[in-house]
Amino acid sequence: MNFIQVLVESFRSMAANRLRTALTMLGIIIGIASVVLLLAIGDSMQRFIGKELQQLGTNMLYVLPGGDRTTAQRARAGAVPSLSIQDAAALDELPSLTGAAPALQGAFKLSAGNESLNSQVHGVTPAMFKIRNWKLDQGNLFSEADVRASSRMVVIGQKVADQFFYKMDPLGQYIRIENVAFQVIGVLEGEGKQIDGSDISELVLVPITAASANLIKTPFPQNVHYIATQGRPDMSLREAEEDIEETLRARHRIRLDDPDDFRVQNMASIADTANKISAGVALLLGLIGAISLLVGGIGIMNIMLVSVTERTREIGIRMAIGARPRAVLLQFLAESVVICVAGGLVGVAIAAAGAAAITATGEFDVFLTFKGVLVACGFATAVGVFFGFYPARRASRLLPVDCLRYE
Amino acid sequence: MSADLTSSLIDIRGVTKTYVSGSVETRVLHGVDLQVARGDFVSIMGQSGSGKSTLMNILGCLDQATGGSYLLDGVDTLSLSRAQLADIRNRAIGFVFQSFNLIKRMSVAENVALPLIYAGWGRGKAHARALQELERVGLGALGKRTPSQLSGGQQQRGAIARALATDPPLLLADEPTGNLDTQTSDDIMNSFRELNRERGITIVLVTHEADVAAYSRRLVRLKDGRVLYDGPSAEGLRQLNASHTEVPA
Repeated sequence: MNFIQVLVESFRSMAANRLRTALTMLGIIIGIASVVLLLAIGDSMQRFIGKELQQLGTNMLYVLPGGDRTTAQRARAGAVPSLSIQDAAALDELPSLTGAAPALQGAFKLSAGNESLNSQVHGVTPAMFKIRNWKLDQGNLFSEADVRASSRMVVIGQKVADQFFYKMDPLGQYIRIENVAFQVIGVLEGEGKQIDGSDISELVLVPITAASANLIKTPFPQNVHYIATQGRPDMSLREAEEDIEETLRARHRIRLDDPDDFRVQNMASIADTANKISAGVALLLGLIGAISLLVGGIGIMNIMLVSVTERTREIGIRMAIGARPRAVLLQFLAESVVICVAGGLVGVAIAAAGAAAITATGEFDVFLTFKGVLVACGFATAVGVFFGFYPARRASRLLPVDCLRYE
Repeated sequence: MSADLTSSLIDIRGVTKTYVSGSVETRVLHGVDLQVARGDFVSIMGQSGSGKSTLMNILGCLDQATGGSYLLDGVDTLSLSRAQLADIRNRAIGFVFQSFNLIKRMSVAENVALPLIYAGWGRGKAHARALQELERVGLGALGKRTPSQLSGGQQQRGAIARALATDPPLLLADEPTGNLDTQTSDDIMNSFRELNRERGITIVLVTHEADVAAYSRRLVRLKDGRVLYDGPSAEGLRQLNASHTEVPA
């Protein structure tokens, strides 16, 4: 009995019980569709997060005030925000870093004409643009001289520019930040979320000195909220981190066994954590799909056992006219595999439709990978073989004389 | 009756069969000897419980004897694996059952082709051969019908065509006319006689009807798992008749 013959036989017996076959297949269809779709969603999510993190730059290091202790603990200890402009200048000198830029930030009310909006305002230096890889769409950056002069200038993101100066040239216009007028000198290029959740197109950037003079009050005039630095691409980030720690501990005169009063946040490790989380979520989603596939597989086994019992007499006839036990086994196994593979293909089609539907919402792009489809088909076959084997073997071990007596 | 061993198609010696159900052992055959030469036409008769069905199953390699020996065409069947037994059934034995036993969802032609497909024939070749065989039993035009679209007699003819598809030397029939009316029974039995005479096919059939047994050349009567009579049919049936008329008295 050749392969084609076996297939013909299984299609025939499936056709003889259409409703039953369809219902059995439904279990596999749902199982495979959910495995494929959920894996694709997990995969796409991972890619999405990876891309977002890439935009941020994975060799960035953020230095934040306060050690591992919470804000409340620091307050009780009487500690004050510990980072200063001088710390940033010292870090800027480090050979393992391409640069270090201090920054202040706060939420303020912005207005121009009749428009107003609440937004984060960052006080930065020109060095920050280089580290964060911010590019200008039009106009200029403020210069070191502007920083020294505490010039009231502002560089804004595209969304902010659109909101205040729709269809107007924003350059030279004024935005009032807490009623202090800042002149727009440049507009940033691009849009997209950054790791802190803010969008490049929503940024409002002023010289750090102008921020401290007009907007943000700190306990000491030299205090900064954070320092952004970037490790040299040719050196290890770990080494850069150690250099920063060593420099700041020396500058802050921290004794050997005392803890740091600052924290270094490694973007690569954040990226790593985010990847781990998304991989975990992807795995979980796949697992949920696998459970539904398992349930579908049990359905197959159940139906195949019923089918073997129902066709006991037929098995006897086949054996009497010369079917070897192996031929009987193959016949039932083929039936379960055919049901599973057919169900798998339909499941993949449904998953593809689902992925297209999700992509069409525009939130999130989901693609079925060729690998994913291949894995699904392999899975479907494996389920068919695994759950079909026991009933098929049972059929093949029946004795012809008993089968022929069966009514 | 002592047949020449070398020409025996069936050679059964001292065959016993014991069924075990839990701790209860039931011995159905108590050492049966039977030799059937090629080209013979044998009826096996006996009351229910005489062991005739069990003997038939053993002859057909559907079941194996508990003891004794069974050579079929010189092959010791007791030492064969299940796959080898399947091959023997396929190649050497054709079965005709009381309830026809055609597979319902297949056409008659496909039923007839099935043994050939198990023998490794290609689909087209097997189908052509099946049609040929159906032609011989007078069902040439009905090959595409399913068994349920045929009369009992036609189904049994289809079953005979299937039994002969692989051209086996031995045809085993278990109450082949049990589900048929007298006229159709006669037709079927005439076909058997013809097959035996013209194609030289050895036929062993189980029946409880003397009319059917009368078609055979030789009669074997079983009682309680032992051979009671083994000889020419005419003589055996006469004895049987006599015993029937004596018993009520």
